[in-house]
Amino acid sequence: MSKVTTLEEAAASVPDGATVAIGGLSMNSAPMALVRELARQQKKDLELVAIVAGMAVDWLVAGGCVRRVLSGLVSFEGLGLAPNFRAAVQSGRVAIEEYSEHLLICRLQAQSHNLPFMPTRAGLGTDVLGLHAASGAVREEKDGPTGEHYVACTRLPVDVALVHAHEADERGTTRVNPKLVWMDNEIVNAAARTVASVERVVDTEAFTSQPERTTYPRFMIDAVAPAPRGSYPCSCFPDYGHDSGFFTAYSQAARDPETFRRFFHEQVVGPDTWDDFLAANDVSTGAPA
Amino acid sequence: MSTPVPGYDCTIDELMAVTFSRAMSNDTRAFNGAVSFIPVCGYLLARRTHAPELVWAASSIAVDADPEEIGDSTLSDSLWGRASMLSNSPFDFWSYAQGARYNTFAFRGAQMDACGNVNNTVIGPYESPKVRLPGGGGMADLGAMIPRIYLWSSTHDPRTFVERLDFRSGMGWGDGGDHRERMGMPGGPRLCITNLCVFDFEPASKRMRLASLHPGVTADQVQEATGFEIAMPDGDVPITARPTAEELHILRTEVDPTSARRREF
Repeated sequence: MSKVTTLEEAAASVPDGATVAIGGLSMNSAPMALVRELARQQKKDLELVAIVAGMAVDWLVAGGCVRRVLSGLVSFEGLGLAPNFRAAVQSGRVAIEEYSEHLLICRLQAQSHNLPFMPTRAGLGTDVLGLHAASGAVREEKDGPTGEHYVACTRLPVDVALVHAHEADERGTTRVNPKLVWMDNEIVNAAARTVASVERVVDTEAFTSQPERTTYPRFMIDAVAPAPRGSYPCSCFPDYGHDSGFFTAYSQAARDPETFRRFFHEQVVGPDTWDDFLAANDVSTGAPA
Repeated sequence: MSTPVPGYDCTIDELMAVTFSRAMSNDTRAFNGAVSFIPVCGYLLARRTHAPELVWAASSIAVDADPEEIGDSTLSDSLWGRASMLSNSPFDFWSYAQGARYNTFAFRGAQMDACGNVNNTVIGPYESPKVRLPGGGGMADLGAMIPRIYLWSSTHDPRTFVERLDFRSGMGWGDGGDHRERMGMPGGPRLCITNLCVFDFEPASKRMRLASLHPGVTADQVQEATGFEIAMPDGDVPITARPTAEELHILRTEVDPTSARRREF
C-alpha cells in the first residue's frame, strides 16, 4: 500500500492539540510545505517541539495554531528575532517551555530508547533547569558512585514528527541526500508517527541499489508528501539555500499588524497549492539543478 | 558600521577578528553557532597564519570548511565549501562536544556578567519578559562541556555588561571561584573580546579583568561602559596589539572578502 499522499491529507491527519515535532535547524531543512498546510487548515492548540527553529514556528504562531512551544532557540539568526513568536510569548498568548538544544535532544532520546531518562551535562549551572523544578521534566542529579553532576532528561512523547527529505519511495523508505546532518532523526525516532515531505518520489530501486545511503527505514515513515522546494524559504542542502529576501520581507511586514495580515495571507497561507505558494514568492518550480 | 581604530590601519571589526585569531592555537578544535562572524573570521585567519593544524567545524557540521566567502548565516551550508567531512549533529557533534574532542567554543549574549555568564533568553522577568530573545540554544549545553570558552561583544555598554543577568542562558565561570570545578566542568572562559578592550579573568575570583585596551580607549571609559566593577591587572594595562599587514590582507582578501564580519556591528 502506497504511503504517498498529498500535503493536504498529511496535514489533515494531525489532530488539534497534538504534540508536533518540527525538523530542520534554524534556516535549514524545515518542513515548510507541511507547516504551511497546518496553518492553512487552522489547527488549534498544537504543542510544538522545535529544537532550533525559526520561520516554521513563526508561521504557526501567526496562524493561531499554537498553545505551547518546547524549544532551545527560535530566531531568524542575524536577520532578526522571530516576530510573531516574540510577541506571542511576551503577551503570554503562547507558552514557552524552555530548553537548550541538547536537553531537548536528550528528552527525545529517552523517549526513543524507552528509558526513564537520558543523562547529559547540558544546562548545568544555567537558569534553564530551575524552570523545570516543578515538573521534573529535566532535573539536576548527582551520580552516587562517582559524585558526577548530570541532568536527567525524562521521556518526551511526540504525536507526530514532520521532516523534509530529498526522496522517498512509495513504501516510505526515505533519503536525505547526501546524508542527514541535522537532528531530524531524533524527532523521527521519538514520534509515534512521522510524515516526510520530499523533493521527489523515486522507485524503490533507488534505495535497494544504494541501501547504505538510506536515512529512514520504511517502518519509521508513515506518510510521504511530495513537495518540490518543500523547505522554502529555508534551505535544503545541497539543492537550494535559504532565501534571505523572504526572511527580510516577512520581518519588515511584521512591524505593522495590517501589513503583516496582508503579507501572511498573500504570500504564506492564501495560495491554494504549494505550487501557487512558490509562484506567489517568485520561486522557480523547476527541478533543482 | 566599521569604526576606524586610531593609529592602526584597520577598523574595529578587523581588530577584534585578528585579536580572536591570535588567541587560537594549533591544538584548537573549534566549531561555531549562530551569528558568529567574528569567531568564524578568527578561526579561518588563525588557520591561514600561525595555527595551520587548527580544526574548525563550520556550523558545527562541516569539518575543515574553507568557504570562498562568508554568507549571511553562520549556520548554513553557504559556509561549508571545501569541507573534508559533513558531520552529523546527534551522532557526531554532541559526542565530540561532550567528550571535549572539540575544545573551543565562542558565544555572546544580549547580556553578559562579570564571570562570563551570558543571557540570550529574556530581558526583564522570565514570566513577563520585556523582550523575548531567541533562547539559549546550544550555549546552555556547551558552556558546561567545552574547556576553552571565548566571549565577544560588539556592543560594549552597560546594557550588555551587567552586574546581574535577567536569565543565565549559558554558563561561563558561574558564581565565580571554583564553581565550575565543583560542578565537574572543564576549563572555562578565557577571554572576552569587545569593541573597547579585551578582558581576561582574574584567577581566583574568575571576574573579568582588563587585559588590554584598544587604541584610544581609556580604562575609565571601559569602566563607564561596564555595569559591574572591572578587575584591574597589576601594573599598566597594555594596548591591544596591532594587526600585521599580512593578517589584515588575508582577512580582507581571503577569509572574508565580503566583510560579513561587519554584520555584527
